[in-house]
Amino acid sequence: MEPDVSIETSSMIRIAVVPIGTVPPNLLREYHSMLLRHQTIPLSAISSFYTEHQKSPFAHQPWDSGSLRFKFVLGGSPPSPWEDFQSNRKILAVIGICHCPSSPNLDSVVHRFNATSRTYASSLASRCFAFCPGDLQLEDGAKKAENLVLFPPADNQTQEFHLQTMMQDMAATLLMEFEKAVLKAESTGTILKTPLDSQASLSSEEVIKAKKRRLARAQKTIGDYCLLAGSPVDANAHYSTALELARLTGDFFWYAGALEGSVCALLMDRMGQKDSVLEEEVRYRYNSVLMHYRKSFIQDNAQRVSPLSFELEATLKLARFLCRRELAKEVVELLTNAADGAKSLIDASDRLVIYVEIARLYGTLGYQRKAAFFSRQVAQLYLQQENRFAAISAMQVLAMTTKAYRVQSRASISKCSPSNDIGSSHADGGKVPHQSVVSLFESQWSTLQMVVLREILLSAVRAGDPLAAWSAAARLLRSYYPLITPAGQNGLASALANSAERLPSGTRCADPALPFTRLYFFPLHPSQMDIVKRNPAREDWWAGSAPSGPFIYTPFSKGDTKDSSKQDLIWVVGEPVQVLVELANPCGFDLRVDSIYLSVHSENFDAFPVSVDLPPNSSKVITLSGIPTSVGPLTIPGCIVHCFGVITEHLFRDVDNLLLGAAQGLVLSDPFRCCGSAKLRNVSVPNISVAPPLPLLVLHVVGGDGAIILYEGEIRDVWISLANAGTVPVEQAHVSLSGKNQDSIISIAYEALQTALPLKPGAEVTIPVTLKAWKLGSVDADATSGKIPSGSTGRHLKDANSPTLLIHYAGSLANSGDLTTNLFAVPPPGRRLVVPLHVCVLQGLSFVKARLLSMEIPAHVGENLPKPVYMENGSAKDVVGSESKIERLVKIDPFRGSWGLLFLELELSNPTDVMFEISVSVQLENSRNENSADQEAAEYGYPRTRIDRDYSARVLIPLEHFKLPILDGSFFMKDFQSDGSSDCKNFSFSEKNIKAELNACIKNLISRIKVRWQSGRNSSGELDIKDAIQAALQTLVMDVLLPDPLTFGFRLVRNPSGHASKVDLPVESNIQVHSSASKGSVWAHDMTPLEVLVRNNTKEIIKMSLSLTCRDVAGENCVEGSKATVLWAGVLSGITMEIAPLQEARHSFSLYFLVPGDYTLVAAAVIDDANDILRARARSDSPDDPIFCLGSPYLVRVIGTV
Amino acid sequence: MMATTACFIIVSRNDIPIYEAEVGSAAKREDAAQLHQFILHAALDIVQDLAWTTSAMFLKAIDRFNDLVVSVYVTAGHTRLMLLHDSRNDDGIKSFFQEVHELYIKTLLNPIYLPGSRITSSHFDTKVRALARKYL
Repeated sequence: MEPDVSIETSSMIRIAVVPIGTVPPNLLREYHSMLLRHQTIPLSAISSFYTEHQKSPFAHQPWDSGSLRFKFVLGGSPPSPWEDFQSNRKILAVIGICHCPSSPNLDSVVHRFNATSRTYASSLASRCFAFCPGDLQLEDGAKKAENLVLFPPADNQTQEFHLQTMMQDMAATLLMEFEKAVLKAESTGTILKTPLDSQASLSSEEVIKAKKRRLARAQKTIGDYCLLAGSPVDANAHYSTALELARLTGDFFWYAGALEGSVCALLMDRMGQKDSVLEEEVRYRYNSVLMHYRKSFIQDNAQRVSPLSFELEATLKLARFLCRRELAKEVVELLTNAADGAKSLIDASDRLVIYVEIARLYGTLGYQRKAAFFSRQVAQLYLQQENRFAAISAMQVLAMTTKAYRVQSRASISKCSPSNDIGSSHADGGKVPHQSVVSLFESQWSTLQMVVLREILLSAVRAGDPLAAWSAAARLLRSYYPLITPAGQNGLASALANSAERLPSGTRCADPALPFTRLYFFPLHPSQMDIVKRNPAREDWWAGSAPSGPFIYTPFSKGDTKDSSKQDLIWVVGEPVQVLVELANPCGFDLRVDSIYLSVHSENFDAFPVSVDLPPNSSKVITLSGIPTSVGPLTIPGCIVHCFGVITEHLFRDVDNLLLGAAQGLVLSDPFRCCGSAKLRNVSVPNISVAPPLPLLVLHVVGGDGAIILYEGEIRDVWISLANAGTVPVEQAHVSLSGKNQDSIISIAYEALQTALPLKPGAEVTIPVTLKAWKLGSVDADATSGKIPSGSTGRHLKDANSPTLLIHYAGSLANSGDLTTNLFAVPPPGRRLVVPLHVCVLQGLSFVKARLLSMEIPAHVGENLPKPVYMENGSAKDVVGSESKIERLVKIDPFRGSWGLLFLELELSNPTDVMFEISVSVQLENSRNENSADQEAAEYGYPRTRIDRDYSARVLIPLEHFKLPILDGSFFMKDFQSDGSSDCKNFSFSEKNIKAELNACIKNLISRIKVRWQSGRNSSGELDIKDAIQAALQTLVMDVLLPDPLTFGFRLVRNPSGHASKVDLPVESNIQVHSSASKGSVWAHDMTPLEVLVRNNTKEIIKMSLSLTCRDVAGENCVEGSKATVLWAGVLSGITMEIAPLQEARHSFSLYFLVPGDYTLVAAAVIDDANDILRARARSDSPDDPIFCLGSPYLVRVIGTV
Repeated sequence: MMATTACFIIVSRNDIPIYEAEVGSAAKREDAAQLHQFILHAALDIVQDLAWTTSAMFLKAIDRFNDLVVSVYVTAGHTRLMLLHDSRNDDGIKSFFQEVHELYIKTLLNPIYLPGSRITSSHFDTKVRALARKYL
């Protein structure tokens, strides 16, 4: 059996190419390839070297179209026992190749070459080609033997031409030799034998047969030479004779041989043109060839020799001839037969050859799996040989099968098909159509794959190729660890270690072993380092450019939920960056990763290696860091891992694909899940580009970066320190706010920041920020109601509620001068520092309730009605307090006639563990009331109220009188304007309107009341009780603001007829405790003339019936009844009066007090025909109810002796 | 009569083996089982061309290596049921394939089963082995 046979092989002149002297292997290969270019020499080209010595036996030689074909056998080959049968098996020429620089002595070269060529008995021509001779060698080389050809050093083309000439010369020589051989064969009866021929002596009958047989064989041999000489017509003629004779003598073997030759002649004649007729002819003849080879099988010497190999060779020749996709079925049938036949071959190397050929033919047919199958059979045959060279061959053959079994080394993938990365596009997008997912894991024949890899490992170990062994073991371990027992895994680990020992340190391998690496988290910029594109045209240059992160607000709290497909990320030269990578060791041994670092192909990144130990079945998240070194794009496809003594690159994409398959149940196992790691995460590598150095502000809060703990409403100054940690000065900076509770930042010292610019690298600036703690909402009140929120929920809420400072800053606008910034040629980007102020608001004073208290202090009856101005020495001071400031606030209602005081009572409790002091201040306004026009805007403080921890206290806030002077429809304006004529009013509706109208007034009022608190030395704030006050005032608002329709006043009448002096005297002598004389005192046992003044506060005439009473201290009516102590003159009850709008009416009467003491005068009136306004004011529901007006009490002090 | 060697395998349309079973009565040897798979894997090349030349699902013996013959049954969805055997019992093999096809369709109807993924049902396995005993 010979490799690489085809039908045309019969026409090829076999030439041994042997190195003479020492020829470096690479040069030998080069010289050989030079020869290969001259495999076909056209007959037309050799005619000039050819001389016809005698009549050529090749009568029909096609000189213009034919050619001689050479087959170069590098290293030569031993003579075959079948040389006589097929002349093309003979080595017909020898070419020696000599590399002159390594063989200086040409004599010895010639000597050696002659010795070598002598070993080829069949050789008809020999040449020794000596390349690169020196000058000396050139000189004396010329006179050496004629078969030494020196190729002087020259350019390629010249040398090529030289060689071509030499080959043509050799072809001519061979042709002439063939002529001689043919003539010799025709004349002399050479005995042509094959090993097949019986060794036994011939019988008499056989002798006659043998003569004819010999003739047939001679004709066949001549035909062979004709083929070699490139003359198919001559060959055909001789073959026909041979066929005839062989058929007659039953020499089937030679018959088949001649038939094969005739087919070759046929093809040569057609010169490569194929058509279906030719194909059919070839098929027909070859079937006959096969049949005759089969017939020539002789049982008795089958153990020693068999024509089977010729039959198989013929089968392969036919298969190769037919090898086309359309005829696949036929070829497969032939190859299957050949494979069947291979079983019976005696020689193992024959079987090897046939398997090789079958594999090659299947490969040509496009049946890669079939080819791989037979290649593996070849490898197994090699492995049976148990020597190193066979192992190398086995390894190489197996390497060819890896593609079909899909276990190829990554090195070969990247070499032959760069477009093979099916998964690259899938890894990026999250969603992959199911079909393509499946196609990712095509042909997961894990059993086969493991076997193949194991065989590669075995052959590589035997062949002494540690890198191939390492690669195979790595592939085996990485892909099939779930199918390998822990003992097997350990074995592989030691195979890896053993291989690595034989490798030089720093060896790289394309196939990663363990661990599995995946991107765990790709930190976008920490919020402190956000990079913002700069718009130089605008003052606020950051506006319009989206922040680099996906979130406008708090990117740090939810940084891991990035589902955006591809992000752009900017890294800055010189600033360290970190990437989180998860490693998994799903195997049962301790894995030591000597070093692992990020793999960056763009070479602008310094990665920092770390070493990791991974226990069996474990995974670990590690931080890999590095520093970008120069401007430009940057990609991180994976990690470089130094493990098991070899450096490998572990791509993230591969693991992503693997995990994708695992999620679909298509891959054996998810290495991360079996290590107890969390489920599939889809983290994509963003597009990274590196920017030139930028300034970098680092912020810290003076006094610790912990949370700022404030009580509700507390106001505090916080100092924020900004330092430039970059290498470029900060030229521009701007602070803005975002997030919740922005209004809690009262002020920021922008000026301090602006004056500090430019901030040099390393410089620091401190700016004050005034904070006011917000009021806790109902939700977070629950979470933070504990004394100090230390739990995680508290922290979360705190973060979510805190306001955020956004500081946009940038370096100088102009480029820094050097050209490294070409990528960012416009302006270098700015940065954004996002500082969440960790404000933790604690519940402070809590408000329990507010209510309005009103209090009336009766006025003294005097000669004058109380003045509308507030008085210096009102008698109310005892109630309110002794401080004159407060007194001043209390004034007499001009129309009501007596002290009316309103207090807002706030009940506060202190649930905290500190003490609070409350102070209330009211801001006065002069425009509030026309009756107090002379009032100045001022603030009045009240004494502080102290609330101890866990106590409650009430704080009284005095309210001024806010009554309006007139009760009229203006209050119910809207109501009446809409349908003024209508009498029938919906009171509740109008009340609503009242409230709406009043809201503004109330707000105004409330805004002037401030309740401040202080706790300890440095904690102070303001209580936000607006809502509370509003709620308290709402119900009583009418009473506070609206005057009664009627006001009543009493006064002493001076000089009434006949009593003037009497009255005057006691009044003058009335001495009060207080220094100022009271003119309102009355003597007992004296007729005291009095006057009641009734004022109509409305704009309508009021008809009414007035009554007056006098009560003593005990509240008894002392005018009527049996024990009356007061006598009277005039009418006291049922006085009918009619008062014009905004006018007063008087009614005079006199009282005679029998007993000194304090009395109270009260007037009351029943209004007749009350209108709607009055009813509304009185909150009367039914129109029939009488409207009753009760005046405020007046105090009369009667002095005298009992 | 049960075949001494038989290896049954179902190959999905994506050329992934989704079910494998050694159903022969011969003593199980690991390297033999591997060889069986290698032969079946290689036979896929032949099936690939042959399947389009006929409308029949049962392609009969399409390939052989040494004494082992590969019979193939191709479903409409181009799932291939492949049997490696050393006996010549076409009728039995055909019946076996038809019944396994039915079983396979039942598996496909399972909404949880992702077509093209490995068949892990032990019920399926039991049934297939029972059919192999019956027909092969």
